[in-house]
Amino acid sequence: MAFEVPKTAYSGQIKEIKLGQGDKAVTVGGESSYPFYLFEGEMPHLPRIAMEVYDCPPEEWPEAALEPFAGVTDDPVAWAKKCLSDYGAEMICLQLLSTDPNGLDRGADEAAEVVKKVADAIDVPLIVWGTANHDKDTEVLRKVAELCQDKSLILGPVEEADHKKIGAAAIGYQHTVVASTPIDINLAKQLTILLGNLGVPDELIVMDPTVSGIGYGIEYCYSVMERMRMAALTQQDDKLQFPIICNIAKETWKTKEAKISEAEDPRMGDVKKRGILLEAMSAMAMLLAGGDVLIMRHPEAIKLVREMIAELTKA
Amino acid sequence: MILIGENINIMSLTIGPAFKERNPRPVQELARAEAEAGVDYLDLNIGPARKAGDELMTWVVNTVQEVTDKPLSLDTTNPVAMEAGLKVAKSKPLINSISLQPDRLGQGLPLAKQYNADLIALLWGAEGMPRDANERAMHAVNFVYQANEMGIPNENIWIDPIVSPVSVEINQVKALIEFMAMLADIAPACKSVVGLSNISNGTPAHLRPWLNRTYLVMMLKYGLHSAIVDAFDNDLMALVRGQKPEIVRLVHRMMDGEKPDLASLSEEEVKYAKTVRVLTGESLYSHSWLEI
Repeated sequence: MAFEVPKTAYSGQIKEIKLGQGDKAVTVGGESSYPFYLFEGEMPHLPRIAMEVYDCPPEEWPEAALEPFAGVTDDPVAWAKKCLSDYGAEMICLQLLSTDPNGLDRGADEAAEVVKKVADAIDVPLIVWGTANHDKDTEVLRKVAELCQDKSLILGPVEEADHKKIGAAAIGYQHTVVASTPIDINLAKQLTILLGNLGVPDELIVMDPTVSGIGYGIEYCYSVMERMRMAALTQQDDKLQFPIICNIAKETWKTKEAKISEAEDPRMGDVKKRGILLEAMSAMAMLLAGGDVLIMRHPEAIKLVREMIAELTKA
Repeated sequence: MILIGENINIMSLTIGPAFKERNPRPVQELARAEAEAGVDYLDLNIGPARKAGDELMTWVVNTVQEVTDKPLSLDTTNPVAMEAGLKVAKSKPLINSISLQPDRLGQGLPLAKQYNADLIALLWGAEGMPRDANERAMHAVNFVYQANEMGIPNENIWIDPIVSPVSVEINQVKALIEFMAMLADIAPACKSVVGLSNISNGTPAHLRPWLNRTYLVMMLKYGLHSAIVDAFDNDLMALVRGQKPEIVRLVHRMMDGEKPDLASLSEEEVKYAKTVRVLTGESLYSHSWLEI
């Protein structure tokens, strides 16, 4: 008898979700097999990468991460445009660092104005990411939702504690929500159920399982994402059949390993190369676990990941 | 089947202070209520009881025995407190529990032998929680062997395969059922016991009984001997006492692979059916499992 390669029996499919609007809108999801298992199913939409823009000059970034954005880090609009023109970004993620109550604590109105300016200046999908402070995110993201009501934004993180108010705003103004839970598959399922109960339609939901970088528990994130995909694809768990978004860049670049200079510890090697590789390899691990959208920072790390996606999917 | 009431527990907001103040009233009221609710044993959980645990255990046992003659399950990790309880217990007591950690085993088995007590063999190894059904089997064989060496007969050994919460690790929930199916073969004449409520740890309080009852019925399929339970869950009591045979049949049929049409079931049956799906791993747990 001839040898037959065993195949996984899939019974489900990831939902196709359209992000953004107009010519540059992107569709993610739609997978009918495990990530890059093209010999078993289809991956009709390749993973997308959103480039990070901060709404205030980042103070704790290592030099290597700042270098590609020299001259624009104090202007989110110019920064976003540079990502599009110089680095070919297909999505932007605006991180609302300035609204952090433990930092600059910028008010909701002012923050929303900045989001509006960025949204007006670009035509690619815009992810808007708060600070995971429930009260502040509720205030800020609701304001953003209203002010940018015709922009089809992607708003995150939306957690169990603030899902009602932010979810309601998203329904009202037709934005997508990022259902965010703390590395727990049962809680991930619960939050999409709650969003559904609230009336958020499936086509406005993506999931964030909470991710971390290499050396900081990435294996737990990997395992949870893997199990989410197993439930979605082999157990027809329709509450987990949503595309996954990974806010990975800031998790890798904030680490000691990405920052410590070669002079300080010669064994660590070139600091720039190290930071880029930490980001690229962490991002790649997330893709292999089922990530559909990566939020990334360094253009060279992005280039590496794009090459890997092309390699893994070439006919 | 034997039910052990879990309610007299130092973690309780009424019992904790009563223990501390040596106030018999709340303890005796609860003991009486548990006995009336129909449990067979009363668990007396005094915690680690590091300071003067022997005095506390003696007092609790005597206090409870003034109002009920139900046998007692003595629940502490302090061997001195355990011995104090064994000395004053009137009916054959149950030692809750002895794990496979060498010091626990070394202190626990001689006590069980000396006082001819029943004992709960907690399958918690030197390396912690068993990872699957096979490790449970390995621990069970090892435990029984060492107990037999001491002259403790299998009839006195109640094996506890350790229930873990469904919201933590579904594979452990399944592994325990798998182990229960093997137990009669690997440890003949040994009894079994589970701390049932742990299955629903982390679940919203009003939903916990659904998981507790369903999991209990699932284990009954493989002859579970006893369980430590909430004495005041009337439906659980009814299930165990054979008053809800249709529910038991439904759960067992589903474990055999039958997939009933939910539309054909009563509202109560639907809840059991959905809970079986979650506990067998067919459907992933979430706090809203009964609603979807």
